Amino acid sequence: MNPSSATAPNTNEYAGDEISAIVLDPGYSSTRAGFAGEDIPKSVIPSYYGIAPTASGSSQYLFGENSIHNPLPNLEIKNPWSSDGIVEDWDTATKLWEYAITSRLTGQRPTDPTKNGLNDGTNGEENGQMDVDMDGLDDAEKPLAESPLLMTEPGLSSAKAREKYIEIAMEDWGTPAFYLGKTGVLAAFASGKASGIVIDIGASTTTVTPIVDGLVLKKGVQKSPLAGNYMSNQLRLIFAQSQPPVPLTPHFMVASKSPVDAGAPAQAIYKKFEVPPTASFRRFEEERVLTEFKESVVETWNGPNRLSVPGTEESLKSAPGRPFEMPDGYNQLFSAERFKVAEGLFDASSALHDPDNPRPKDEQTIPRMVQAAIHHIDVDLRPLILGNVIITGGASLTYRIMDRINNELSQMFPAPRIRLIAPGNTIERKYAAWIGGSILASLGSFHQLWISKKEYEEHGPSIIDKRIK
Amino acid sequence: MPAFKDDQIIIIAPGSESTVAQLGLPESFTPPRLRVRSRMFPAEKEGEWEPYKVRRRAVANKVEKPALPQEEQDEINDMKKSLGEPDDDEVLYEEDPVSEEGAVWPISEGRIVNWPCFFALMTHVYNTLNPPFHTPILLIAQPAWTPREHEKLTQFFFEKFKTPAFGLMDSAVATSWAYGVHTSTVIDVGRDKVDVTVISEFIPHTTGRVVALPGCGGEGMTQQLLSLFKSKDKGFTREMCEQLKRNPICEILPIGTPLPGTTDMSSSETITNPAAAASTGATGSGPGPAAAIGTAPRGPGLDTEVGDEANGDDDNEGVLDVASIVAGGKMEEYLARKEREKQEKLAAKKKGAEAPQAQSKPTRLPNAKREKATFMYEDHHLLDTLKGMNLGTKGMADAQAALDEGPSKKTDSGEAAEELRSAIELNGDAASLLTSSNTGPIRREIEVGNERFQAASGGVLEKIADAIHRAISSIEEVNKRSELWDSLIICGNGSKIRGFKDALMSTLSTKYLISPSSATIFTSELPSNISTPAGTGANTPQPQLGPHGSSSQVNPLLLAATTAQNPHLNPGMAMPSMHNSHSGHGQTPTSIRTVKPPEYFPEWKDFGYDEAAFLGAQVGAKVLFIVDQGQSKGYMTRPDYNEQGPTGIHEYSL
Repeated sequence: MNPSSATAPNTNEYAGDEISAIVLDPGYSSTRAGFAGEDIPKSVIPSYYGIAPTASGSSQYLFGENSIHNPLPNLEIKNPWSSDGIVEDWDTATKLWEYAITSRLTGQRPTDPTKNGLNDGTNGEENGQMDVDMDGLDDAEKPLAESPLLMTEPGLSSAKAREKYIEIAMEDWGTPAFYLGKTGVLAAFASGKASGIVIDIGASTTTVTPIVDGLVLKKGVQKSPLAGNYMSNQLRLIFAQSQPPVPLTPHFMVASKSPVDAGAPAQAIYKKFEVPPTASFRRFEEERVLTEFKESVVETWNGPNRLSVPGTEESLKSAPGRPFEMPDGYNQLFSAERFKVAEGLFDASSALHDPDNPRPKDEQTIPRMVQAAIHHIDVDLRPLILGNVIITGGASLTYRIMDRINNELSQMFPAPRIRLIAPGNTIERKYAAWIGGSILASLGSFHQLWISKKEYEEHGPSIIDKRIK
Repeated sequence: MPAFKDDQIIIIAPGSESTVAQLGLPESFTPPRLRVRSRMFPAEKEGEWEPYKVRRRAVANKVEKPALPQEEQDEINDMKKSLGEPDDDEVLYEEDPVSEEGAVWPISEGRIVNWPCFFALMTHVYNTLNPPFHTPILLIAQPAWTPREHEKLTQFFFEKFKTPAFGLMDSAVATSWAYGVHTSTVIDVGRDKVDVTVISEFIPHTTGRVVALPGCGGEGMTQQLLSLFKSKDKGFTREMCEQLKRNPICEILPIGTPLPGTTDMSSSETITNPAAAASTGATGSGPGPAAAIGTAPRGPGLDTEVGDEANGDDDNEGVLDVASIVAGGKMEEYLARKEREKQEKLAAKKKGAEAPQAQSKPTRLPNAKREKATFMYEDHHLLDTLKGMNLGTKGMADAQAALDEGPSKKTDSGEAAEELRSAIELNGDAASLLTSSNTGPIRREIEVGNERFQAASGGVLEKIADAIHRAISSIEEVNKRSELWDSLIICGNGSKIRGFKDALMSTLSTKYLISPSSATIFTSELPSNISTPAGTGANTPQPQLGPHGSSSQVNPLLLAATTAQNPHLNPGMAMPSMHNSHSGHGQTPTSIRTVKPPEYFPEWKDFGYDEAAFLGAQVGAKVLFIVDQGQSKGYMTRPDYNEQGPTGIHEYSL
């Protein structure tokens, strides 16, 4: 018997009102977690993690902002996600997500006071005995034993990946109830829309998801790597190709800097490391500088001509640029360059490329992806969809990118009116999927949608495909 | 009629090191009245806790020494009575308010790690305050506490103390209330962690908050000192380093100040900041400068002889583990040897005084210029050992007097101690260290070299600076960042160490401050992202200046006005671009400043604002419990609790 649709939920089977669910929204760049019903995720941690060898030969995992920015010898920075936005390393992802939940939401399970080194010098025997009773209780409890969990998944995830999600939640974390929401749908919810097309410009991928009545049109979902990380790589190319090359030195390398004239070589005192930090660590720290550059200098080109039209770029060179100072004090004025960074998202032909960064395909640009997605939608529904173009994702905060999307789409679809919907609040824009999940999980009527532990035990992980389409 | 009275409000601020609390709000807010160390001792019975060390004393002692003085006998009897011990019991119990042997610290890195112990501590604080029945409680919450833990605390306070109302106030928010600013970056340097909280319009920004950055607090610096001394193999203990750190002779020098005793002024040591020191420290040459001291020619006078002694004799008396000597029953020998050394020293001093250069008066040099300095070390461990030896009161006092080198005894080092005392009085905060009477802990004099300037050499300042940069960069509204850089609040008892705040500010300036780009000086266009002129004139666009070093061209009135806004800025601190905020970067920071502390509470002004969170909590308690009376849900009342349970606290806490 399938208890999903018809029968009312039992209070003991489903989460009661008073227990707040946890919403977990993992992404390539950051992992968001928080309590349902709140307006921002309380716990936002980087999805990057550090792995450092310990003296005993094993390796130590480092999670969270506090531990991954220290230039320790042999510290490698990794990411459990693959560059095309799919979880690759499930074991580490599980640990990372658990950290996101326990570190700031539920609290860590108390470590045995005899082992945590706090009470060194105390009478260990006495202490240890005292805490055995306390720990005995806690061992039985898994990190989420008290909270239902709503997780988000990318629009295109395999059945196997979905089964993995519920397996982790039920087996590893012991959650009493689980639900899996698609990021696109949840982002639309956050804007109060049940139908529309969601353009999610994230770190590793840009996804275009058409949604009709709260359901994803799977055929129409488009994905491309032209997103935040792509823009960073464009920046690296710009820096490397300019004459003379712009040096990219992360903060940790610099001991102190002194002001120099624009374009002049930096005069900074650099730090010396006995064991030079790994390339992955350096790249990760460079990314912080690039992020700052993207925030303060980069702008999306908005015409009148396309940037690739001959002469446009030259005319820009005479315009005042924006200065940017590197952590080592090197500073330069960026005029035409600052428009080139995001141009590839819209015009593949103007993307910079080299052997490591191949030229993107034309169909990977945002306008072409929207076009392809709309193509799969019933003609009658198109006006409705085009009237609700929802823009979300961290990279959508690039300056004036909204205007550009609007221009491009209006040219492509002149007839039904295009209306962009993007939360003005930057936090809402960045965490739209999480906020949608938070709204959904706190709705009273949502309770019957949870997959309970009982159901899971009865049907196994495959229940996820039966219950959540 | 308000629901609560001013004099019936409890504020408790738990911390890793000490917990402060107060009952009642005075007319003018005062520093916390009750201060207890955040630790409890496991009681004999499992699961129970004692606020003080309780020592078991076998009565066998009594049999050995039948001729106890009458007063001690009385004392013991009194003690027995007060502990409810029957007279014929075989064991004596003694409370020791000073000792920390075997203590359990329930809070570590801001997190509560031992809940039963923490609850016992709260109960102890509550009982010490002894409030009347109708007393609401405001608890200052550490940033590291999770929402689930807030619920746990709520449940505990309502159910254990039957409090009529309970509120939780975030410590960073409390600090910003104390300073009366709506937007600020609060850097709370605690015992073993640092929290950096960005507060925008009274709302803490949770997503980018740096919570409990480990290894960066006061304890981190103590450990750094310890490792520096360890590498010199001097037998320093953690406790000695801790007391040294609290002493005003321990100082963090501004960037670029050469360590005294470093003769090579042109070496990299002199131009770099602690970062460079850190890198040299990392190469295992932490004792590098120290080793240099040994070979470098020494200054004349006092320093010479002291240096000789430190070098020539491995058994440097200052850092010997006296406790183990005493425990080994060799106290007499030790005292005799010390007497002999004293004589030698005296003789040497006489010789030194005859030397022609001795008149250069090295003692008049400021601390930062002196290579060596001494401080008084209160040897609790030794005291504990003595107590553990079951000496009688008389024997105890004798031993104490013999071992104590405090300034009340006239030793040949009295001169140095005298000078030290004046330094302390100037500094103001550790005066009690020396003024305590002879009955207190046993004091010994310890001399240290320029390690005392390297407490932060382990990269602590850089780590904190990086955390601040991260926290502010996590703010999505780019235009708010510059205001946040201009309103730093450095608080917490870990920041008390002399020179810490200035050193942190100059680390921030040298690493993160954006200078005006020379590329923009020829363009008259102001970038679109420049903010509207603020009342301080800080953002007012000014006529373009030369690229660098042209401060003389600044409108002197404007400069005076802007600097007058910040008189608390240390004049010695590098502020190269106070007037350069026109540079037009979207990039931040173009200026870095701290917030001026409030001045309208005289008691706090004298006390210092390291515990500003408590002042903020007083303001908060007044506003929430008295003025606002729960209209804006600043606290949870008992009926609320009965209705909603512990989870309801999230709707009420600040």
